Amino acid sequence: MEEKLIDILNRAQNELKEISTKDQLVDFKVKFLGKQGELTSVLRGMRDVAPEDRPKIGAMINELREKIENAYAQKEEYFNKLELEKELARGAIDITEPGKNHERGALHPTTRMFNKMIDICVAMGFKVVEGPEIESDYYNFEGLNIPKNHPSRDMQDTFFITENILLRSQTSSVQVRSMETLKPPFKIISPGRVYRNDSDATHSPVFHQLEALVVDQNVSMSDLKTMLTDIMKKIFGEETTIRFRPSFFPFTEPSVEVDVSCPTCNGKGCKVCKGTGFLELLGAGIVNPKVLEMSGIDSKKYRGFAFGFGVDRFAMVYDGITDLRNMFKNDIRFLKQMK
Amino acid sequence: MKVTYNWLKDFVDVDMSAEELAKKLTNAGMEVEEIIYLNKHLHHVVVGKILKIEKHPNADKLQVCKVDVGKEVVQIITSATNIFEGAIVPVSLEGADLINGVKISKSKLRGVESDGMFCSGEELGIDENFMPGASVNGILILPDNFVVGQSIDEALGLNDVVFDVGITPNRPDCMSVIGLAREVCAVTGAKFKKPDLSYKESIIQNDMTVELKSEKCSRYMAAVLKNVKIEKSPLKIRQRLFAVGIKPINTLVDLTNYVLIEMGQPMHAFDQKYIEGKKIVVRDGIAGEKLSVLNHNTYTLNESDLVIADINKPMVIAGVIGGTNSCISNETRDAVIESAVFDLKAIRLTSKKIGVRTDSSARYSKGVYFHSAEDGLKRFLNLISSLELGDICKGIIDENRAVPKTRDVYAKVDDINAILGTAISADDMVRILNSLQIPTKLEGDTIVANIPNFREDLENEYDLAEEVIRIYGYDVYDRGEAREAYLGWKLTQGDYGKKVVLERKIKEGLKYSGFFEAMNYSFIPPDSVSKLMLTDNRRFMIKIANPIGEELSCMRTSLAHSMLSSLAYNFSVGNKEVRLFESGKTFHPKALPLTELPIEINKISMGAYDISFAEFKACVENAVSETSLSYKLVSSKEPFLHPGVSADIVDENGEIYASFGQIHPTVAKNYNIPKTSMFAEIDLDKLLSLPEKKFVVKQVPKFPIVDRDLAIVVKEEISNSDLESAIKSACGKIFYEVKLFDVYRNKALGDGLKSMAYNIRLSNENKTLTDEEVTDTIAKVLKALKFRYGASLR
Repeated sequence: MEEKLIDILNRAQNELKEISTKDQLVDFKVKFLGKQGELTSVLRGMRDVAPEDRPKIGAMINELREKIENAYAQKEEYFNKLELEKELARGAIDITEPGKNHERGALHPTTRMFNKMIDICVAMGFKVVEGPEIESDYYNFEGLNIPKNHPSRDMQDTFFITENILLRSQTSSVQVRSMETLKPPFKIISPGRVYRNDSDATHSPVFHQLEALVVDQNVSMSDLKTMLTDIMKKIFGEETTIRFRPSFFPFTEPSVEVDVSCPTCNGKGCKVCKGTGFLELLGAGIVNPKVLEMSGIDSKKYRGFAFGFGVDRFAMVYDGITDLRNMFKNDIRFLKQMK
Repeated sequence: MKVTYNWLKDFVDVDMSAEELAKKLTNAGMEVEEIIYLNKHLHHVVVGKILKIEKHPNADKLQVCKVDVGKEVVQIITSATNIFEGAIVPVSLEGADLINGVKISKSKLRGVESDGMFCSGEELGIDENFMPGASVNGILILPDNFVVGQSIDEALGLNDVVFDVGITPNRPDCMSVIGLAREVCAVTGAKFKKPDLSYKESIIQNDMTVELKSEKCSRYMAAVLKNVKIEKSPLKIRQRLFAVGIKPINTLVDLTNYVLIEMGQPMHAFDQKYIEGKKIVVRDGIAGEKLSVLNHNTYTLNESDLVIADINKPMVIAGVIGGTNSCISNETRDAVIESAVFDLKAIRLTSKKIGVRTDSSARYSKGVYFHSAEDGLKRFLNLISSLELGDICKGIIDENRAVPKTRDVYAKVDDINAILGTAISADDMVRILNSLQIPTKLEGDTIVANIPNFREDLENEYDLAEEVIRIYGYDVYDRGEAREAYLGWKLTQGDYGKKVVLERKIKEGLKYSGFFEAMNYSFIPPDSVSKLMLTDNRRFMIKIANPIGEELSCMRTSLAHSMLSSLAYNFSVGNKEVRLFESGKTFHPKALPLTELPIEINKISMGAYDISFAEFKACVENAVSETSLSYKLVSSKEPFLHPGVSADIVDENGEIYASFGQIHPTVAKNYNIPKTSMFAEIDLDKLLSLPEKKFVVKQVPKFPIVDRDLAIVVKEEISNSDLESAIKSACGKIFYEVKLFDVYRNKALGDGLKSMAYNIRLSNENKTLTDEEVTDTIAKVLKALKFRYGASLR
């Protein structure tokens, strides 16, 4: 009996060594460990063993079974591992191939700057109002204290459709429309497209403005400066400073040009600001009381201030775009850089 | 406006660097756009006297000159032929850097030392008008009275600096040396020196009369000069005119120009012998009368023009340009000098109408004030009499409507500070206004400014506030002197408005679908409507009266032209997989030519190539799905889209919200873009008119969903949407979802047939579906499809 058991173990170990497929392993299990397997038949043979030898033989059989089972389990795990490795190898891909989902697009630099400005202003309590791009002479000029044949008309080259209908040259036209209907106090911004008959390397006949108007009691130039400083910091960063220079706009008095510290060099002077440390970026002022009166607002009771941004120019400064022509060319090689 | 520093110094005692003064002026609102140093290229050039000329030992064409340059005698080798012993000439010495780029250093010419070079007028940057002999081909021979050894810039009066100042339209008074001098006084604190207006009259009586017949002229002054000397002006006059860019011509012309620059008063000189009836009539033009003027053109006038005439003929288009029939010439002996105030609107109109812009019209177009005519004329006569250029007749003529009254502007000190948000003292305000030559005093708490005639722009406390702050300095806000921001501001509610919100949502969505935002001009060419094969009233575009060019002359009625052009550009440079969108307005006239404002519609266009119809369609549908629109798709009739591969998104009333699809092959050809290019136009305004998007949320199914796939064969013309709705209705209450997952075409199926494979999902709200129920339902579906669309099971 003992010999028989040793023989089974030897054969099992030898056979197991030879096994190279999972199917063979299954056959092996049936042959040695199955219901009709050799171990089972040995167990059946226990009847023929002398009773005094039975415990010893029983222990041997258990030992034998354990050995074979362990060897089997090892082999099985080996096969599982092999299979998993194969599967993983099969599943491996070239991770450097491009992603399949379509790459995302991008908003135009001007739109992104518009969004930024509108977000800042709305958070400060401004209401967005819009108006027509083809406008009457009154709203574009006369209502802003720019009478016909007046020298201040020379400041802008305007596109005309008829004698009294034109392409608005400034979004201030929307402010005149708004003042006629809104009751002070109010804060409005008018973002939009404007047109001027001027086309060269630094002027586009079509560009975009955002104009802001605040009408309330007792507002001042100092408030204007405070608010503008705040907005510029929010656009270009906390270290931004601004300065006022006297200027002239027919609809504001006093009027100022606003220089903003160059965001490229933080005011130290660089190529972008031509070494001055500042960029001439917007115009502002106290609303001319005549303009308030024309729109039916009591200028004795209320005062206003206004400021206007050239949004495309802001966008160019912000994104470091140097060639204006790119802004209207729609070359995706340009637009893709803003993804 | 160009002025020179030395000219300014005639009226104000100021002594600081040009840069410093320029900075002060700019900070006060007189923006110095450029500082030009007239002597930039005149250093190391001096006045020399040729002592001796000898032949060069080694060269036939060269001469060796001994030249006295003051401190020493130098040797100059020259090939010039117009020099002679004793000649006074400009000599450039080592270190000179001439305007033509020539740098001078000592050198040997054919073995002989040369210390420098003689200069021509051109090499000094001057011409014949500036100095006789300056344009000859050779060395500039200077007048004998030039001081040997003096530097040439001083000798020529070019040791001066020109400021080019940008003058804002509210300050026409600063379009003059005297006006800017007043500003210099205010920014430096220096004292203002009044111009010398005195002159000596002769005993000859004035023999002219003036009749003022037009409302367009408020003052007409004239002086008569006898025995005028028409010759080259003195060097100082020529220097200054040259410096500010005016060509010197002769005494009379130069002095009118000199006064124009100095006093800001345009003038005109007539040859008296051509004035018939010895009478000047200031009148409106007579329709149809013609005048030949100094620019060699003839203009036909009408009532809107102002004319200076005699008793028989027009002589001058007032304020714009003089006629050839009465102008002065070298033979003029007696002259009449006009100094007048014309209505700026009338002059602007005429100047614009005939397209003639002169220094005079430019000045009148900005506004000339009443007293300027008198000051200007007197200054002119002062120059005539001090330079002894003629006899001034007794009694100058002054015809005017009414002398304007002086006016006071009152402003409370507190009000000015309230406008500015400052705490500037009353004393400072009074001092600043007086320094601007505005006589001002304080009465109690009120500033009383007596507004001089030249400051018609000052009307109220806001105007005075601006004068105060621009001189006081805007850096007041940086010095902590200004008050804190006003805290009493009424809180206002920020509001994006519906349009901004929806537009942003759609733009963001398109961005994540791989679209890039384009931006185009709103102008398109007239032929674009043909290129797009438009047939409806979008052909009628609004035309700009003064476009940049024909290509940019019409306001777009569709975004298609812009988008297809952008695709074409990208295609032409080889860009692949292009996806663009644009948000913009289209413009639709109610009638042409426009009598009222047109209708403007906010739209969003999309354009792409290297994209399937299916993918493009999904992007368009996603965009409109930002709204509550419930829509269906119908074939589109857009003429520029492929009739078989395009659709309109419509609501139940057939209202079109968007059209999209493949570009019509002919249009693709017209624009030179790929045949499979896609385009969409979405009407943002229509989407905005829809109610807010609301959701009716149903319970998530509690019982399992059963999937069945069903492939059928139908004729090509049967649409997916018809089949889907038939499936839905056949499933009845247990319908959950249906999705087309495959379309298959093959000869084996038969001609004109296609196989459509659907995934049908069923679910019952109350219980688990049995196999039997499912099988029955699918059988019902098949039966319905067979019955309605002749479908067969594949």
